[in-house]
Amino acid sequence: MITVSHLSKTYYNPDGSQLTVLKDINCEIQAGEVLSLIGPSGTGKSTFLRALNLLDPPTGGSIVFDGEDILAKGYPVHKMRQKMGMVFQSFNLFDHMTVLENVIYAPCKIKKVPFEKAREEGLTLLRKVGLAEKADVYPESLSGGQKQRVAIARCLAMNPEVILFDEPTSALDPTMVGEVLSVIRQLAKEGMTMLIVTHEMKFARDVSTRIFFMYDGYIHEDGTPKQIFEHPHRSATKAFVQRIRKEVFEVKGNDFDFLDMESRIRQFCIKYNIAAKSDATVNLCHKMLTEVMDSYIPMTVRITHSELSGETALDFMVEGLETSPLKAENPALEEIRSLCREIVEEPTSRGFRVKLRID
Amino acid sequence: MNRLLIGFFSALALVSCAGQRQKAIEIHSDADLTGYRVATTAGSCYDMELSAREDIFLDLYNTDSDLLQALLNNKVDVVVNDEVLFNAAVQKEYGIKVAMLGEQSFPTGFLFNKEDEVLARTLSAVQRRMEEDGSMQRLKDFWLTDRFTEVDTYPRLTYEATGKPLRVSTCSTTAPMSFLSDGEWYGIEIELLRELGKELNRPLEIQLFSAASGFLSVKTGLADVLCGCIFITPEREQDYRFSEPYHSFHPAYFVMDADSQRQSEGLLTGFKKNFKRNIITENRWKYITGGLWETLKISFMAILLGSVLGMVLYSMTRSRRRWMRSFSQVYNGFIAGIPELVLLLIMFYVVFAKTGIPSDVVAIITFALFFASGASDIYKTSLDAIPHGQTEAGLALGFTRTQTFFHIVLPQAIRRGLPLYKGQCVSLLKGTSIVGYIAIQDLTRAGDIIRSRTFDAVIPLLVVTVIYFLLVWLIGLLLQIATPKKKVL
Repeated sequence: MITVSHLSKTYYNPDGSQLTVLKDINCEIQAGEVLSLIGPSGTGKSTFLRALNLLDPPTGGSIVFDGEDILAKGYPVHKMRQKMGMVFQSFNLFDHMTVLENVIYAPCKIKKVPFEKAREEGLTLLRKVGLAEKADVYPESLSGGQKQRVAIARCLAMNPEVILFDEPTSALDPTMVGEVLSVIRQLAKEGMTMLIVTHEMKFARDVSTRIFFMYDGYIHEDGTPKQIFEHPHRSATKAFVQRIRKEVFEVKGNDFDFLDMESRIRQFCIKYNIAAKSDATVNLCHKMLTEVMDSYIPMTVRITHSELSGETALDFMVEGLETSPLKAENPALEEIRSLCREIVEEPTSRGFRVKLRID
Repeated sequence: MNRLLIGFFSALALVSCAGQRQKAIEIHSDADLTGYRVATTAGSCYDMELSAREDIFLDLYNTDSDLLQALLNNKVDVVVNDEVLFNAAVQKEYGIKVAMLGEQSFPTGFLFNKEDEVLARTLSAVQRRMEEDGSMQRLKDFWLTDRFTEVDTYPRLTYEATGKPLRVSTCSTTAPMSFLSDGEWYGIEIELLRELGKELNRPLEIQLFSAASGFLSVKTGLADVLCGCIFITPEREQDYRFSEPYHSFHPAYFVMDADSQRQSEGLLTGFKKNFKRNIITENRWKYITGGLWETLKISFMAILLGSVLGMVLYSMTRSRRRWMRSFSQVYNGFIAGIPELVLLLIMFYVVFAKTGIPSDVVAIITFALFFASGASDIYKTSLDAIPHGQTEAGLALGFTRTQTFFHIVLPQAIRRGLPLYKGQCVSLLKGTSIVGYIAIQDLTRAGDIIRSRTFDAVIPLLVVTVIYFLLVWLIGLLLQIATPKKKVL
């Protein structure tokens, strides 16, 4: 369906410097594929997507879509875009139109679909993304997740052959990621061809039929989710998929904002799909700080999560300490031990660390 | 609302009709002026003389009606001006009198360009001939005595002429020099110029200027001759050419007449009478409607032209070429830093002076230049406020670039920019009230013309104010209609 060869993109800045974001992209995308593009920030995932529908026209190479060279001079780009929809990170809904108008404006104006027919189809699409009752409100009154679902319905209204998702959940509050992903999941089930730039590893692994790991302006590794996540061939891929997510808090004394720390731990849990663990984690952290460690602050607290293994841990690190701060006679310790899988006490190069592994 | 308006009108009428405090002022010589508040016309010969005195408080006014109002409202004690300015009828009506006639007399004549010797000499010859056959005396008997009142039918020389128009600029709309009645020019100086026109087979083309710009109009060749009680002074003779004086006038010292039997009328009767006198008599409402047309024409055309120029200017600010961006920056800076009146005068007397382009076109161009600068700013603020994501979303859906602009970006930008645009239109409309300076009889000038005939400050200003008010409201209404509907499909 889409054949990309030797695609490159270089930005020329006004000051004379230049930045090559895409170096040499080659791939063949078949109809029906759900393709996730993953990789570190700044490796050209979004640029590749935006080069495909020529919002950021590439500076080299060729793109053949449905057998036509879309980079040819005089090629009607807007016709191609009608068949290749796009969903943006920042939704880009038309603020001056109602939800329904957003969805059916393009079919009415471009495809000249009669209003009544477009309205019927628009409502059907809104029902599909669960927003039929919001048809007549303006986007400003919607939540981020609802806006993105409207954007998806708007994209579907043009009946595209392929949809490009440019980080569809990155601008969302973690609590709203799920509703958007489930809509995309539904589309995948229906066999829609999709290219998804995402940082949601679990989602990419579950929903995709194929994954591109993008690195340094190239498609560094191309394979099935199983292959990329479980048996990556290349070291950069391996480092990326096995990377550990973390959030660090510097507890400097009693004036530290513990409530903020608690809500950030909860957000962290939601973001990496471990919401089930958030209560236990917050509880453990609270007990450790108030009943076990309080005489040792200042210290560094860290929550870590490995997306691949699913392991979550809380680290408490006190600098300049050589023996464990845990006292065996402390009754609270028993309770903590029962709440987590394992307590590891170990000296480090700069002090002492207590690690709680959480199930 | 109606009650409020009526209250407002009545209060103003009350102010205009209320009796003024009157005290007896005796002046027998120039020295008696000491300690008094004195008013005269700015830039006149009296101005130069009185300004030199340190023992009086001098106020300067621009029009004769302002002078009278200052006297009536007790802002000044004495008005010094031409003896013929307020004739017996006016004096009686407003309860003023001439306290003293000045000793010196000022020879008065017509002012020509320094180069234009032939015209001046011809007029002098015409005047000499009229002296000889007695027609000059007949003119003076009518105009320079108290015979003439408003209700008279004024004598007027009519003749057929086929030659090039004689361009007359006048800086007076006050009888008996040159004034408008029912849309026609009358007055002793106008009659003398008609004699000249007849002699030369040239029709008159009369334009109304303010005093200062009247002189400029002759100097820059926009007019052939200036009239309006122009005194012949040595300073003026250095720069201009004069015809022989047709008369010499004494300065008069006008004061309130303590013995005046002026009776005050009831509020409503007074208002009705004044309204009739200012608006109905001599078809004076025609100045208002004519002025309204000029104001509307200049404003509308300037807004139209300025909006288009503003688009050009805006696209220059977004141009890739540096000189274009710089140009628009310099242009906006220039426009921001120059008063509208100054640019208007520069355009009229310098830039377009020799081109023969009519003054209303000059006004339209000038105001369009101002409007363009404001409009380009408005386009910039409202278009730049629409996030680029909106354009991208439109393109990604399959709209062309043009469609995206007109379907997606523009409707949102208009909604943002319209209130600003309305403000710009309103300020332009009100700003056009200065076009009187370049001899256009717009709405404001129409009020001035009426005031200089009736010496009433309230009604003409009130009517003009109300019309401006309605126009502003009308602009709001029109733009309201132009606002894109909430429903897009």
